[in-house]
Amino acid sequence: MSKVEPREAFPDEPEPSESGTTARRGPAARPAPPDGPPPATEAVPTTVAGAAPGAVAGSTPEAAPGAVAGALPSPGEIIGGPPAGVRPGAAAGPDAAAGADAAAGAVTGTLPGDPSGVASSRGVPPGAAAGPGAAAGADAAGPGAAVGPGTDATRADAAAQADAATGAVAAGSPAAPAVVASAPGGPAGPGEARGGGRRGPMRRREALVGLAFVAPMLLLFLVFRFGPTLGAAFLSLTDYRLSGEWTFIGAANYTRLLEDDLFWESLGVTAVYTALYVPMTVLLALGTAVLLHRAFWLRGFFRGLFFLPYVTSIVLAAVIWKWIYEVEDGLLNAALGVLGAGPVDFLGDESLVLPSIAAASAWKGFGYSMLILLVGLQSVPREVTEAATIDGASAWQRFRWVTLPLLRPVLFFVLVIEAIQAFQVFDAMYVMTAGGPVRASYSLVYFLYDSGFKFFDFGYASAVGLVLFLIVLVFSLIQRRLIGREED
Amino acid sequence: MKTGFKRATVPLALLTLTALTAAGCNGGDSGSAANKVTVWMYPVIMDPKANAAYWDSIEKGFEAAHKGLDLTIEQLPWENRDQKLATAFGSGKGPDVVLLGPDQIPQFEAAGAVQPVDRAIEKSRDAFRPAALDAMTQDGKVYAAPIYHTVTSTLYNRKLLEKAGIKEPPATWDALKAAAPKLKRAGVATLDYSASNEASLNMSFYPLLWQAGGRVFDDSGKKTAFNSPEGVEALSFLVGLYKSGSVPRSALTNANLFTDHALGKEQVAMGYTNTPSDAALAEKTWGKGNAIVGPALTGPRKQVCFGMPGGLGINARTKNLAGAEKFIAYMTEPAQIASMGKAGGFFSPRTDVSVPHEGAFAKEYEAALAHTFPGEPHPAARQLMALITPEIQAALTGKKTPEQALEAAAKEGDDLLARQR
Repeated sequence: MSKVEPREAFPDEPEPSESGTTARRGPAARPAPPDGPPPATEAVPTTVAGAAPGAVAGSTPEAAPGAVAGALPSPGEIIGGPPAGVRPGAAAGPDAAAGADAAAGAVTGTLPGDPSGVASSRGVPPGAAAGPGAAAGADAAGPGAAVGPGTDATRADAAAQADAATGAVAAGSPAAPAVVASAPGGPAGPGEARGGGRRGPMRRREALVGLAFVAPMLLLFLVFRFGPTLGAAFLSLTDYRLSGEWTFIGAANYTRLLEDDLFWESLGVTAVYTALYVPMTVLLALGTAVLLHRAFWLRGFFRGLFFLPYVTSIVLAAVIWKWIYEVEDGLLNAALGVLGAGPVDFLGDESLVLPSIAAASAWKGFGYSMLILLVGLQSVPREVTEAATIDGASAWQRFRWVTLPLLRPVLFFVLVIEAIQAFQVFDAMYVMTAGGPVRASYSLVYFLYDSGFKFFDFGYASAVGLVLFLIVLVFSLIQRRLIGREED
Repeated sequence: MKTGFKRATVPLALLTLTALTAAGCNGGDSGSAANKVTVWMYPVIMDPKANAAYWDSIEKGFEAAHKGLDLTIEQLPWENRDQKLATAFGSGKGPDVVLLGPDQIPQFEAAGAVQPVDRAIEKSRDAFRPAALDAMTQDGKVYAAPIYHTVTSTLYNRKLLEKAGIKEPPATWDALKAAAPKLKRAGVATLDYSASNEASLNMSFYPLLWQAGGRVFDDSGKKTAFNSPEGVEALSFLVGLYKSGSVPRSALTNANLFTDHALGKEQVAMGYTNTPSDAALAEKTWGKGNAIVGPALTGPRKQVCFGMPGGLGINARTKNLAGAEKFIAYMTEPAQIASMGKAGGFFSPRTDVSVPHEGAFAKEYEAALAHTFPGEPHPAARQLMALITPEIQAALTGKKTPEQALEAAAKEGDDLLARQR
């Protein structure tokens, strides 16, 4: 968890407050007690909203391993939530930067309480721990619990620290939510959360309630994801035929797979595609997110507009891009023709086909990452960039040395999610090139599809599916390691 | 949602559910109950309304003729036909009777998914066109009773030919080669081709191979035979046209589609594996009189086009074999063959029944019927196609010579056949 390392900007911050152990215990906790410090009250709505994205995203990994599995925040949630939502986390602590980091982590929906634990155990300033703490709370007990009823003392303490840290800015609105967020965060910090209360009856009941809440999802997951995965694993050890007859053939499918040139070829194609698609998508997403972040007018409109391709059917998008790429009268070649160049056979040339498909897929898929990154950008506290501006940093320097490092966890998440996405590419190739020319766009899933549904070689196809599953699992684990780890 | 895990599990889930259900209820609920017959039918009649009306009348007619039997004809789309069948058969949930083409039979038969229909056609066996019945036969048993016959032939765009000053539509390879430069000067390509992996070679390369006198498999079916001088001649012919721009560049991604592709968009003057519905569409979109249907294309050694019977097969795990056989017998009666052909624009698979056609090109297609070849059925036919197609693409894009491409394909193909049982 390098991202929550203590910031150099505040090397001498005090250790996290040890008080308020009981904070954020109650599942039904209200955002902020009315008797909190004035800024807290003001910040209430924002804080609740802030908890939401974390809760939504975070609930997923709980149910599905790899954090990638379940439902990520749906478009609507993202569109609705983030702008308001991220604020609190962002402004969370005196060390707003660390807070932002943690909040971003929460939004990305990785491991619930983790950031807070790590951050605080490493002695990050209280505020820093606080932001994530709020996020963690959201994850653990649902949105309502995001801000637990910390003791007044804690809050006052945190408020004081926040004041101290942010100085004059404290009066401004960004600082206000910070206070509230930090209140529960303090308690969520190092030892306490893992301490005595954890195994008590209260805690256990809470766990049971939590389990009851995730039970439907868990059941669905077991029945429709875990079960089939196990089934496929078993199937891959058989020579299952359409007639329903099968014999157990051990690892024969796997040894055959290792010797199959086509498998390696398709794996190579998939890797190259991933290497092309991921940077393209992430850069495009980052670029548009930055532009959207800066936009004053019609931001919502453009956000919706850029997100639109993401909700279009990939098949539709692929058909349209196929027309655009066409040699004879495609849009691109017509444009090249006007410039006196071309025609370029985008889909018929072995070296161009993957970049072309990747570009089309990036166009289709960047909206999702864009939203996530936008949320991340919005969680970068203004005072930090303001400070940088005062220090004389240029726009580019601010972006490169302030914004980008703060975005790192979000970027990691987006990179991993897009890589996993890329590894499963099929539809675009199926529609645009059917894997051609000369298998230059024959992906791993295409290979699986052919084996299973064209050649009815179910056992073999399952083996391919399992290999793909392992690859995705590895990516998920990498993501887990980079962005967070289990609370326990 | 774009979550990786979910997307990974989709194929897994599909595969597994197939297996689990099958394992769970092996023989449990395949087919339908004793008095029920379920049929999977496809939009064989292009007009959806006419299609629905036709199968409705068949249901009524059959049930009237066979009291006590309850016939259900389910309409499925052509898309992902094999995939859906595989899933259904695999899980024991398939229909009792299903529409099958000759290219599907060897694979389904080898997989143990279908059973012979010989008993259902006992009485009418001799009436079928021998070639049609042959196409549906594996190891001496008939696996689908032909109910119609398709045919493809050449289709020309009169406007484009005239623009290039060509009066006689090129009907042979030589005439075609001679016409190509003229058409090129007129700014259009000559020959439509489909080189996509999703295009059946039966509708693309194989007809050229057969016209050159070549074969896909040798007589034993244990070795490939396309890597012959004839095969090289066929591929060289194609590559020559492609390199000179006489086969459109978009051929690489075309999968035997007419609409929105080079031929439909009038960028190429002719096709050689076009169906009556292509011709009807061409007549409509190119303007009356601009579509010409010619005889099957003549190669250096043979005049041959692709055409195959469509037939009804029986699920190996049907619960109502007698009902299924009765339905098949009913559908192969002359009255139904005639009504089917008329409604769908097909031709008769029986020599004693001829289908009355009013369509614009009925005469031309009827003539082409004599030259149809239903392909070379083989359990590994589709896997082989998946090996040959990329090599053809390699030859087209110039990565390999036709000789190298066929040699590589033959090597992989022979390995594939050696692995078969």
